[in-house]
Amino acid sequence: MKAFARVHPAVSMLYFLSVLLISMFLSHPVLQAEALLGGVLFCATLGRRGTALRDIGFYLPLFLMVAVTNPLFSHNGVTPLFFLNGNPVTLEAFLYGFALAVMVIGVLLWCKAYSEIMTSDKFLYLFGKAIPKLSLVLSMALRFIPAYLRQARRVSRAQKAMGLYAGKSITDRVKNRMRVFAAMVSWSLENAMETSASMKARGYGKKGRTNISLFRFRSADGALLGVCVLLLAVSLAGAVAGITKFTYYPRVDKIETTPAALAVYTAFGLLSLLPFILEVKEALVWNYYRSKI
Amino acid sequence: MKKDILAVFGILLIAAVLVNGTHIQSVDEYYLTHIDDITPESETVTLSIRCDTILQNYDDLDPALRSEEFVPPDGVILPPAKYVLREGDTVFDILDRAVRYNKIQLEFQGAEESPFGSVYIQGIHYLYEFSCGPLSGWMYRVDGVFPHYGCSRYELHDGQNIEWVYTCDLGQDVGAEWMGGKQ
Repeated sequence: MKAFARVHPAVSMLYFLSVLLISMFLSHPVLQAEALLGGVLFCATLGRRGTALRDIGFYLPLFLMVAVTNPLFSHNGVTPLFFLNGNPVTLEAFLYGFALAVMVIGVLLWCKAYSEIMTSDKFLYLFGKAIPKLSLVLSMALRFIPAYLRQARRVSRAQKAMGLYAGKSITDRVKNRMRVFAAMVSWSLENAMETSASMKARGYGKKGRTNISLFRFRSADGALLGVCVLLLAVSLAGAVAGITKFTYYPRVDKIETTPAALAVYTAFGLLSLLPFILEVKEALVWNYYRSKI
Repeated sequence: MKKDILAVFGILLIAAVLVNGTHIQSVDEYYLTHIDDITPESETVTLSIRCDTILQNYDDLDPALRSEEFVPPDGVILPPAKYVLREGDTVFDILDRAVRYNKIQLEFQGAEESPFGSVYIQGIHYLYEFSCGPLSGWMYRVDGVFPHYGCSRYELHDGQNIEWVYTCDLGQDVGAEWMGGKQ
């Protein structure tokens, strides 16, 4: 089971926000590598068997594409490898592209984990009272892509069942995609209107309307919140102190190994591995109890 | 199946155009530019590259560039020297040849990508546009005058003096008045 899914929404929201913001805005290679590792392990515990290979098939080419694109457009750096149309293609640009790819894939994986854990009911529980309109729009936007893919598959299957574009030829398949896409555009517009009308009909956002929610703030949530805030504070202190500053151009900085820097790396490493550690702990406890039966 | 073959053919065509349009050189090949020897009858021009204005605005400079390796203490990146002028050479041709010969880094935007229809110099010696404040970048003057057009459209004549200067204030601090900026 997903141990992290049972955490109180306020704590998991704070957790996701802190990891995402740090990995997006502090462009330090160590922190980004840690965020990527944490994201991979987290998604591995969430994923159903069989989706892993498909995920690798998606993320690996994306990773390579981002990493290789940067040196084609950015020619700064002191170590030219070769020259392309008179402009240098440099080692620094490659390294920067590599770091960028680590960051992009890490953030994507964390967003994937976010959408698995922070379901719409949790999001509406947190923000539905304070900002009803915005939180409805946000929760619709966040579930848009999964819902869109589901519907697209349905439309495509329906077309195939009618005997359209059932051939193996690539051009046929591309044509099928185009037709499905055209249908999906009008579906998504209509769906958004219907959802908001339906929520309105239920009196969503009206004064005096109450909600039932099963979330309770347990002592374990409090402990997790404390750990999160502590680790976040150490990471942010590192950012304020300038430890997480890192430049790639014109020459790549050395990675700092002072005690303060190591403390920041450890803090963020622990922060990004927290869900995985929690999952492993739960599994160990479960096995321990089973062994006693 | 016929349609598929056509699609594959189209993709191959695009790939061929892309490969044909790129020109790859090794580092040694790139720097192995020979400069013609100056003979009594050859036409020559003088070229220099300076970045004095950065020294006056050191606080605005990108912290990663604050070292004598990137900003020479006297502001001279390339001291004035004579280069042989070939038929139809523009300011950009001379600059390109000179930086290759002296192994100075250069990044430019090609004439076909630039909205000005001329090559645009983005950075010389790791000093880029916007490296030293929002109004900074490279400009050139020929015989003391800042031309109103790009460096690959300026054809040179015998004995002209080209200076590439780094500005931190849209040219105001190097004596170009026509760029506007603050009065």
